[in-house]
Amino acid sequence: MGMAAIARRNGRNWKSIAKGATPYLLVLPVILYYAAFWLRPVLSSIIASFTGAAGQFTLDNFALVFREENFVAAVKNTAIIVVFSVTLEFLAALFLALLINRKFKGSGIFLFMAMIPMALPSAAAGAMWITGLTAHGWLNSLLGYLGILAEGKKIYWLVGSNAKLLATLIILDAWQVIPSVMIILLAGLQNIQEEMREAGYVFGGNYLHVLRKITLPLLKPTITTAVILRMISAIQIWLIVVLLLGFSRLPVLVERVVFYTKEVDQLYIADQMAAGYTLVVAAIVSLAALAYLQVSGAFKREKEQLT
Amino acid sequence: MTKTKKKPVSVAKAARTTIFYVFVVGVVVALLLPLYFIVSLSFLSTREAYEYPLPMVPALNTQFKLEYGKRGYLLSVYDRVEGGFETVLDTKELQKMSDYMKYQLATPMTLEDIEQQIAKLEEMQDVVYFTRRRNLLSNYQSFFGVAGSEAVPALIRSLQICALTIIISLSIGGMAGYAFARYAFKGKDLLKFSVLFVRMFPGVAIAIPMIKILVGLNFYDKPIGLSLVYSIGNIALTVWITASIFMGIPESLEEAAQVFGASKARSFLRITLPLALPGLAAAAMYSFLGAWNETVSAIILTQFNPTFAVIVYQTVLGAVGQVNLAAAGGMAMALPAVIFTFFIRRYIRQMWGGVTI
Repeated sequence: MGMAAIARRNGRNWKSIAKGATPYLLVLPVILYYAAFWLRPVLSSIIASFTGAAGQFTLDNFALVFREENFVAAVKNTAIIVVFSVTLEFLAALFLALLINRKFKGSGIFLFMAMIPMALPSAAAGAMWITGLTAHGWLNSLLGYLGILAEGKKIYWLVGSNAKLLATLIILDAWQVIPSVMIILLAGLQNIQEEMREAGYVFGGNYLHVLRKITLPLLKPTITTAVILRMISAIQIWLIVVLLLGFSRLPVLVERVVFYTKEVDQLYIADQMAAGYTLVVAAIVSLAALAYLQVSGAFKREKEQLT
Repeated sequence: MTKTKKKPVSVAKAARTTIFYVFVVGVVVALLLPLYFIVSLSFLSTREAYEYPLPMVPALNTQFKLEYGKRGYLLSVYDRVEGGFETVLDTKELQKMSDYMKYQLATPMTLEDIEQQIAKLEEMQDVVYFTRRRNLLSNYQSFFGVAGSEAVPALIRSLQICALTIIISLSIGGMAGYAFARYAFKGKDLLKFSVLFVRMFPGVAIAIPMIKILVGLNFYDKPIGLSLVYSIGNIALTVWITASIFMGIPESLEEAAQVFGASKARSFLRITLPLALPGLAAAAMYSFLGAWNETVSAIILTQFNPTFAVIVYQTVLGAVGQVNLAAAGGMAMALPAVIFTFFIRRYIRQMWGGVTI
């Protein structure tokens, strides 16, 4: 009898403990997974960046990185790409999302078509742009057929000043990335209740008014989300740069990491360079992300929600 | 009276609708034009692919002209861009001619067929014209067959990796997503920011130390090893997406089932899960896209067993002399991704509507 009561009480205790523990148990696998497969490589990467060739603690790796001939150019190019591509992609994606959200006839199919660039693997996209932008590529052919380009004339898209190359890269990157920004914004737009906007129209607002005073403020958390995700990956751009221009023509930060890991891995300081660059990139990404969250007021919103 | 009053309004409306649709079509063209060319390129013959200007549409037929040449028979093909016949070959060897037709023009002709044409030439005229149908899938066949004997095993490996990645990220991420949607607990925001954290460190930089870890587990250069790496980014995304999906299903349904005596687990399995299934399927396809398209870590983390993406990447890089082949590889890779995108498009709101930073 007594035993049964104890057992019952224990059972109840267990139940209440289990109840409080449920969310933690559900989250535990993620934590374990990240400890094993994310934190471990990240930590060894960080340790490597403070380790010299002889295995001693050192700050030389960063000195090497800062003194590398392409470092300043890499930072500058990356910054330009981030600023312009995030701005361009956000505006284009917002525009597309607003368009699709109007639910016109065929908007479903339009959405699908707008999402296709997202589905294209980067290797396939690389093939597409290489065959398009060489002097004998399809872009010049098309311009020739359309009569925009005089016969025998060619535009050399992948040759010329850095500014021109950066502009080309930003546009190509935008083509592929806009859809993934768009779907996040579209989901946010679809979550805004129609009544909110209707109220704006009832009070005499026109489309732009309602957009500025009602839709965009309500969309702000979504915009923050989309922009920060995009910003983090924009800082780490490299594959399209290398596919189109090769290494070292237009250095960007992660391209340097790959350059020292894959291209010149025979070089005696290659490992230290790669490790140093890695930490520099991670630091820049983290700082930029934190700064953006601070400026956009995401942390403030967080507190408001908690209180 | 009413007619005259109504008409201008509808005309204005029709005009606005027309302009709107012209505009929409313009956007679609800008989005899909580059794709059109890569698709078109994947159907071009090698000879056409290196012409300038490039033909805008792949030819369905090849028109031949056969004459006597200095060294044997003179073979010319009709050039659609220049608008005339261009000599491509002067040879006596029929095998050489047949090979050229097959590999350069993607218009296979049997030796007997060629002999027949030559017989015709010898019989009566100075010149013989004939047209043969082109093999439009020639680039795809050589990508999977001759040139890429690695392509098929790589394709199978990629599918295995995708399946494993979906299982890992949907089970682990889905559990956390459910917790996120239904419970208030400490560290919830940390979970939310995990999507950002795991992306802040360059993927390339994680892949290098990962080699050691995977070798230790005996998973290096195996599908399971790659899927463990792909799941890093995928789990974080899946947490967000599944959390959104579960948030979209009213908790009151589960509570109602519990009122009728169902356990928490049972009410989840019987009520919430079936309702969440379409959204979860979309989340699985989203994971598939990520794992299928991933190229960078795959290049670093494979040695003898490349994934399909790596094969395509290598074909693109080494595409001198075979851009059309690279295009075919790229398209073969894009096709499943595009099909899944078609299904995902309806679930955008369920997937991304719930969680924001």
